Amino acid sequence: MITAYVRLEVRRALREAGFVISTIGVPVMMYLLFTNLGGQNEPEWRAAAMVGMAAYGALGAALSLGNGVAEDKSTGWLRQLRITPMTPLRVVTGRALTGAVVVLPAITGVLLAGGLLNGVHMTARQWVTVAVTLWLGSFPFALLGLGNGYRLTPQTTGVVNVACTLGLTVVGGLWFPVALFPDWLRAVSGFTPTNRYAELGVAATEGTVPGAATLAVLLGWAALFGTYAAVSYRRSARTV
Amino acid sequence: MDACRAAAPDSYRRGMTKDQTKNQTKEPAVALRAATKSYGTVRALDGIDLTVRRGETVALLGRNGAGKSTAVSLLLGLDEPDGGRVELFGGTPEQAVASGRVGAMLQEGRATPRVTVREVVSFVARTYPSPMPVAEALALAGLTDFAERRVGRLSGGQAQRVRFAIALVGNPELIVLDEPTTALDVEARQEFWEAMRGYARRGNTVLFSTHYLEEADAYADRIVVLDAGRIVADGTGEDLKRAAGGNLVSLDLAGSPTEWLATLPGVVSVEIRGDRARLRTEDSDTTVRALAARDAIRSLEVTRASLNDAFLTLSHRTRERLEPAR
Repeated sequence: MITAYVRLEVRRALREAGFVISTIGVPVMMYLLFTNLGGQNEPEWRAAAMVGMAAYGALGAALSLGNGVAEDKSTGWLRQLRITPMTPLRVVTGRALTGAVVVLPAITGVLLAGGLLNGVHMTARQWVTVAVTLWLGSFPFALLGLGNGYRLTPQTTGVVNVACTLGLTVVGGLWFPVALFPDWLRAVSGFTPTNRYAELGVAATEGTVPGAATLAVLLGWAALFGTYAAVSYRRSARTV
Repeated sequence: MDACRAAAPDSYRRGMTKDQTKNQTKEPAVALRAATKSYGTVRALDGIDLTVRRGETVALLGRNGAGKSTAVSLLLGLDEPDGGRVELFGGTPEQAVASGRVGAMLQEGRATPRVTVREVVSFVARTYPSPMPVAEALALAGLTDFAERRVGRLSGGQAQRVRFAIALVGNPELIVLDEPTTALDVEARQEFWEAMRGYARRGNTVLFSTHYLEEADAYADRIVVLDAGRIVADGTGEDLKRAAGGNLVSLDLAGSPTEWLATLPGVVSVEIRGDRARLRTEDSDTTVRALAARDAIRSLEVTRASLNDAFLTLSHRTRERLEPAR
């Protein structure tokens, strides 16, 4: 039942041209531009930028989950689901799993560009570790997207998600290395979920274990976003 | 026709044994007990008592804002009543919905984007424990030719058929339809009710809301008239016509006085239009005899009150009853 639901929602997501372009096309293109223009061509930068852009793509895909939810709320699809034998818990779980599936093309797209076009060299095991780490690490952002979607109207969700994506991407240092930031911004950056998310990925490329601070910050954000999603869902369940 | 009825396929009624058949007659399919619901200061339902037995086809008839959609929301568990109880098959609406005994066609609702008709109907079928074959649901809803089309690109009438297929495909025991035919043309409407009848014939319960009197009269075993959040009448079309004051007797006055008309036996109300009097009567035979005794039968005409008249009279009465309270 839940797999049928996930399959349906994944199909719906991938049929949206805007979704595919913004979560796969844009990160891949930006990655290739950033690493091949202006002479910044050192291998470390290519690998770090690869992780950053894959994280950016995954972030956008995970958050866009909320756009779908907000749309379904307004078309009455969520209401229709409520009168099928699927329990509300299954519907939410199915949505979250959908998020887990649709971030995969975003991550693999940028990793493929890194490996095939930019000549990033890693062992097979490292590639898999990077991909899986980025995949698991995107989960808190899916929760944030769900929270927005259940709480806000479709239009507002779209705007808020774009703002969240850009803000978290820039401050988290996914586009530009944190080393270029002024001290105060670098300090702020360390507390963002995106910065720590990218750190997970970078640790994986270097074959090191992420630090305790990184995991603590990420888990903290996951708990916060999870609560936000749960509260938003409960509030909307009364009106949907 | 009867042979057809007997041969109506019953194969996928969830393996009904004799015991279950007996069991099924126990609790009613739908029971609303003193159910009330307000939205802000608007009292949408003002104490509704309604029981629908299994196998019945019942119409909820009322104008826009009479409380039909609210009643539907309550009995599907989409909304909680402020007071009173709502039961489906002796349990909560949530239990009935979760066990796949209910299918529903909601009003409004825009089409779900980026899915084909077959995809969405197949998916809904998967959520039910013993659905009918998807192809059959599509055929019943007249969607076979549109199966591969995107739901978002269908016309209003076609989209309504999709909602019908979704309500039907789970093979539920109770089907609830909120104004199911508003976007359909005459022909599609007829096909729709044909399919609905076939479904009811298998022993299923159908509850639909409508503001079309003819539809309620033609397709329901029982009509429940809602007005201002209350049930103002409950019975067959015949019952309603009788309750509203059966027949209409009209005659030419030829300038004679009119006061005595209201005192005639059976007469409920008198209406004078120009030189013609229209008497609404509960017993037209007696009224006509009394008129004949007075030799006042110029151009006398006896007509059946239409269901339309009955409906207007019934809803008018509620408003009169409510007026002093305001």
